[in-house]
Amino acid sequence: MKHSSIVASVILSALALLGSLNVTLAQSDCKTLVKASPFGPDDQTGATNRITPAVTKAAAAEIQTGVVIPMAFNLVDGVPLFGTRFTKTMLTTASLVPGGEYGKNRLTYMEDTYLSQSHVGTHIDGMGHIGVMDCYYNQTPMGKFVTQNYLKKLGLENLKTFATRGVIIDMVKVFQDAGKLKTNPACRTPCLDGGTVITDADIQAGLKMYNVALREGDAVFVHTGWGDLFTQFPAQNATYNKAAPGIGKSAAQWLADQKVVLVGTDTWVVEVIPSEDTNEAFPVHELLLTNNGIHIIENVRTDLIAADAASSKRATFFLSMTVPKAVGTTGTFVNIEAIR
Amino acid sequence: MKRRHFLLAMLAVASSARAAGGEARRFQVAFANLNEEPGTSIDGLRFSGAEIRRSFELASRSLPLDMIYYDNGGDAGKALANAADAVSRKVDLLIEYNSDAEANTEIGRQLKAAGIPVLALNHPIPGAPLYAADHLTAGRIAGQTLGQFARENWSDQTVVAAILGDVADPSPSVAARIAGVTEGLRQELPNVPPILLDSAGHPVRAEGVLAKFLGTQVRRKVLVATLDDASALAAKSAIETAGRTSDCVIVSQGASRIIHGGASEKKEIDPANRGSIVLGSVAYYLDRYGYEVLPIAMRMLRGEQVPTQTLTKHVLISAKNVFREYPPYDMN
Repeated sequence: MKHSSIVASVILSALALLGSLNVTLAQSDCKTLVKASPFGPDDQTGATNRITPAVTKAAAAEIQTGVVIPMAFNLVDGVPLFGTRFTKTMLTTASLVPGGEYGKNRLTYMEDTYLSQSHVGTHIDGMGHIGVMDCYYNQTPMGKFVTQNYLKKLGLENLKTFATRGVIIDMVKVFQDAGKLKTNPACRTPCLDGGTVITDADIQAGLKMYNVALREGDAVFVHTGWGDLFTQFPAQNATYNKAAPGIGKSAAQWLADQKVVLVGTDTWVVEVIPSEDTNEAFPVHELLLTNNGIHIIENVRTDLIAADAASSKRATFFLSMTVPKAVGTTGTFVNIEAIR
Repeated sequence: MKRRHFLLAMLAVASSARAAGGEARRFQVAFANLNEEPGTSIDGLRFSGAEIRRSFELASRSLPLDMIYYDNGGDAGKALANAADAVSRKVDLLIEYNSDAEANTEIGRQLKAAGIPVLALNHPIPGAPLYAADHLTAGRIAGQTLGQFARENWSDQTVVAAILGDVADPSPSVAARIAGVTEGLRQELPNVPPILLDSAGHPVRAEGVLAKFLGTQVRRKVLVATLDDASALAAKSAIETAGRTSDCVIVSQGASRIIHGGASEKKEIDPANRGSIVLGSVAYYLDRYGYEVLPIAMRMLRGEQVPTQTLTKHVLISAKNVFREYPPYDMN
């Protein structure tokens, strides 16, 4: 009896040790691959932690005229989609059939079914979108937290508000002023050509243009002009998706150092494509999302707010953008408005 | 008078401080490409001159370089004229990709006289550092891969090996590739010397030559090393037509875009095609030359010592690593 309990105890200890070893290995792997969150080991929220009541209150001071400027493209069949992504709506109209009405008041209704991937149109990339191997934001070993249908960690439901100050940086003007704008013939209005790297110096030049100093918790949008190709769908879809002007790693790191909450552009990818080093896959996504918890917003309509900033000489606004509490998802299409 | 000297001295100090604290100096670098004629296969490896030039355009984006591009057009006279133009423009450095040894000697002499450093690409220029493919090592990787496959899968079978492509090409690079394949095979299978199958570099001919060879190798397993990717695809076609897919495997040279591609291109080397009889293709990275060569040029421009010879680090591109080596950002 005594012998058997010793054996059982040894086996249990060994199993416990093996179990703890497994956990330790997974954690140490992710610790070498991904930075820890500054908001603690349990953080699943990322940069929106920075949008405190004080930040929102300060951002509210940006509302001076109440004019609302759209910053999202219409989501409709035919717009450019990355890779094999698709979006399709189906309309349910059963009660419109004669005799299908409800009640004496003959009420009818219609509903939509979205058959769509979440990263389409103007959309946000969440913390569960990009990782290094199976290591995601805050050193999360995602292999343990994925199911067939959703994530058990880092889903969009963990995000806080985006009620903060928005800043538009007009990179077309920066490049024009510097005499280095190389445009693309398919753009009907001036644009940076695909493959143009936006550096930290370019970003700072754009901020200086309107005398803006970034604050912790700001949402930064960069106008490249590339979004003009989006509006020409489907004619320019291939050109739009084949390359993109965008921020390089130095710009991404500089923005991360300013503690912004998101970076959005009028391209499908935010970062420059082809990458600065074509041997790397989407390194700015990794830098912003995986290592700094900073959201990426793609396909943002930036032309209207850029034009308004140019005429008013004011590049800041109150950001209106909400994200559905869609549990365990990696991204979603969003609507964005700049309130002036 | 003293006061004027003082002011001049202060101005000099201020301007040098601005230079030190301001933007890094930009250099003007010329790249004379081997041949940008559409349809020309660079060094027989199925890369275009445009792909090589594009790699320089991409790699130079993040460097303080203003590039000037020339197309030597595969012509020694044009290469000499381009070099003369680079001298007249007083470029800071010339990267020369020209296969004519005599012209290269003259280019080296002229640039030296003008005090302009030269970096040679794949073909030596006297006195200039060289960046070059390592054809022998690349061939060896292919030979070893084929040999290892045979040892692991066909240890109890009769195995033969063939090298298919423009085997009669007199250039030292092709001879080195063939020698490398032979050496790699010998390391794994000492008793299987490869047979040379000459297609003169034409894929259609490669298909016919291999089909004929397969007809003589009944009930044998066949290892095929091709000298370029187009020959590999032709070889695959010949093997499929002959109904010999369970008897043959292929390893190619080049890893050009015709054999691997973006996520939606579904090319032969693709993560979704792991059962292909094309085991892989040895990468020469001609489409990355800019990324390999410009850092060496930067070191030369900064006055640093660089090795007299830098060789490409070749690896086998297969379904297992193709997306790691060539991230498919273009998913149209």
